[in-house]
Amino acid sequence: MAEGTLEVRIWRGGDEGAFGAYAVPARENQTVLDVVTEVQRRFEPSLAYRFSCRVGVCGSCAMTINGTPRWTCRTHVKRVAPEGRLTIEPLRNMKRVKDLACDMDGFLGKWASVGTFEGTATRADPPAAIDPASPARREVDAAIQCINCAVCHAACDVVAWDPHYLGPAALNRAWTLYNDARVADRRAVLDGALQPGGCHTCHSHGACTEHCPVGLSPTASIAGLKRAGLVSLLKGGRS
Amino acid sequence: MRIEESRCDILILGSGGAGLFAALHAAKADPALDIVIAVKGLLGKSGCTRMVQGGYNVALAAEDSIERHFMDTIVGGKWLPRQDLAWRLCVGAVERVRELENEIGCFFDRNPDGSLHQKAFAGQSFDRTAHKGDLTGIEIINRLMEQVRSRAVRRLEEHRAIELIPAADGSGLAGVLLIDIRMGEYRFVRAKAVLLATGAGPTMYLYHTPSGDKTCDGLAMALRLGLALRDMEMVQFHPTGLLGGPHTRMTGTVLEEGLRGAGGHILNGGKERFLAGYDPAGERATRDVVSRGIYAEMRAGRTTPMGGVYISMGHLGAEKVAGMFPGMVKRCADCGFDLAGGLVEVVPTAHYMMGGVEFEIDASTAVPGLFAAGEDCGGVHGANRLGGNGVANSTVYGGIAGDSMAAFVGREGVWRDPDNSVIEAGIARAERPFGQAPGDLAGLRDRLAQVMWDDVGVIRDALGIERGLAGIADCRAALLAQGVVDGDRRFNLTWHDWLNLESLLDLSEVVGRAALARDDSRGAHFRADFPETGVLETSAYTRIRRDGDELRLDTAPVAFDIVEPGQSLIEGAAGAPPAEAAIGSAA
Repeated sequence: MAEGTLEVRIWRGGDEGAFGAYAVPARENQTVLDVVTEVQRRFEPSLAYRFSCRVGVCGSCAMTINGTPRWTCRTHVKRVAPEGRLTIEPLRNMKRVKDLACDMDGFLGKWASVGTFEGTATRADPPAAIDPASPARREVDAAIQCINCAVCHAACDVVAWDPHYLGPAALNRAWTLYNDARVADRRAVLDGALQPGGCHTCHSHGACTEHCPVGLSPTASIAGLKRAGLVSLLKGGRS
Repeated sequence: MRIEESRCDILILGSGGAGLFAALHAAKADPALDIVIAVKGLLGKSGCTRMVQGGYNVALAAEDSIERHFMDTIVGGKWLPRQDLAWRLCVGAVERVRELENEIGCFFDRNPDGSLHQKAFAGQSFDRTAHKGDLTGIEIINRLMEQVRSRAVRRLEEHRAIELIPAADGSGLAGVLLIDIRMGEYRFVRAKAVLLATGAGPTMYLYHTPSGDKTCDGLAMALRLGLALRDMEMVQFHPTGLLGGPHTRMTGTVLEEGLRGAGGHILNGGKERFLAGYDPAGERATRDVVSRGIYAEMRAGRTTPMGGVYISMGHLGAEKVAGMFPGMVKRCADCGFDLAGGLVEVVPTAHYMMGGVEFEIDASTAVPGLFAAGEDCGGVHGANRLGGNGVANSTVYGGIAGDSMAAFVGREGVWRDPDNSVIEAGIARAERPFGQAPGDLAGLRDRLAQVMWDDVGVIRDALGIERGLAGIADCRAALLAQGVVDGDRRFNLTWHDWLNLESLLDLSEVVGRAALARDDSRGAHFRADFPETGVLETSAYTRIRRDGDELRLDTAPVAFDIVEPGQSLIEGAAGAPPAEAAIGSAA
């Protein structure tokens, strides 16, 4: 069993607030979400935080851990706090609701604004025949399994500077749509990604890719959109 | 007490596959409808459709058929499913998968020729499970979430429904009383039609798989409204839940079935294989059989340090395992366990409730204006659910519910006047903890979890269930005497923990009562004192409803209106459904 006690600081409040300090027993199998849960159950019954699936699928529980955005349900304490000290805050770049919970509405709204599928076929048709080895499909597969946890959105400095920037997750989704052969108007998808606040706002710092808990590369997706935009410009398309 | 009141045409409770499909179908049927989705967490992020690893059962291939899918569902459900519901599921799955692909934008994995890849899954006579890798649920829910967000559907996120409010004149449903979790305030939403799609979830067990926000709230509300719940003894246990100790939320979460299918070994505390002693198929036997084998081994005391058994994959080659199951291997590694090369402690874990609200093939219920879909409903799966039929059920019936509600509102939709006494009672129940001294809520939930696990769990008998019912009653008395600190009610999870536990207690009692009544063993329900399955031809299902403070149980015969025990819709042995099929490979 792990020995000792964790020194835990947790943000209490909204934009204004203060850290609370708690001594939590260190345990052999203990995630950051478990630490937050233990604080709520033992010390702070009104502590607000969000989680759902417990297995890294729902993307609800991300927080800022010792300055870094992470999913908490799959972040083992030993990996991020070898000295036994944890500072836990809400994700940045989103409105705060209370304590560790923030409002993901802006983030998800940007996603849906450029990331909603519109096809041509209907439920009366069989699924489209798509070669899984085709280059476009490989691009989609490399980027599609995003859980919209907003870790990339919180890690991105450009999102912090520019409230109109769509952000890495939304653009990553736009890239998968652009490469989806079933989409009715792929050009419109690209135009959505090229609008002000779109892919050209990205500075290619790569913080999104560095922090993505499921190993995606929004940086590569955004670079793909930029390339596609350039190609379409050279071909004399709308832009 | 301040209560915000508002109105809409259709109110949907829940945002899993059922709730989101209902919204899309209703909006398409009549774009002028004012549709609201209320969800305990965030839209598309709560519930279990999102967590689907396996996939979606659908008879698409030329060699497959609706009849085969149906027979597998009936045989897997041990002749207990309501056959017209099961048939509608199998027919509807074909349309729904096409809709998911062509209209919603989901992309299921393909064969090299471009057609949908369909994999083998437990208890099925044909490889019919469409999937997106081993994260099918994320693909389905992300795409549905985008579609719903791009339409004029209103969202009440982090809103917890606490009471279904009937009309004062008894003519049907008037609306739903909710708590706005973020604000800590009550809200009454009047609606012409309401969908119950909160996803049940057997989280009253020590080990359980569903998302943390599921606590049977929908079933508890349905029970209070007077609706009948059927097949409530049927709780599916998945054999391999991760065991990480009592202080971590990762305990109980599923390690996928494919691990056993691929040749994984289950070892007891002495590091010996033992399942062949329970069933010739060993690790590859079906979920219920393997769960019972593991549970029996645990009861015999041959356990790992944390009280479970081991899953061992290393003999297949760590590199190969990491390549076959990247998601599972990474998840275990994040939590400190080496699945590819080492031993990981596992335990059977409560996964799914086959039982639920009695509903009709158009998703209506016995109360006009109230519809139901998904895991809150009973009758589709009978005594056992096939892997891959869960997401089919929620999406097929969710869509049907959307169509039905739109038609209902157009035909006879009215805002009924609410029975205010039920609103007052609902608020009084939610207010109760604030008047009392706080206590150890988490400890009390652990106590209930242990009672259910020990006495109403994987293997049951009359004595144990009686003891369990007494234990549940003790827990209820303790909860009703225990409170929550009042003060900041905004996003107050401890208040909601109290309410969660109340719902779980209500449903624990129902499960116990149904388990006591079923004196045979079939599917997920195993009675050590009645180990044989009864005569199939006279199969009956349990039905429980609340009458005042009492639960009333009766049984009703299963109608074999499509196929009778001993018969099949399939010609010849080759097409017959497997009686006890082993799980397929992980391919």
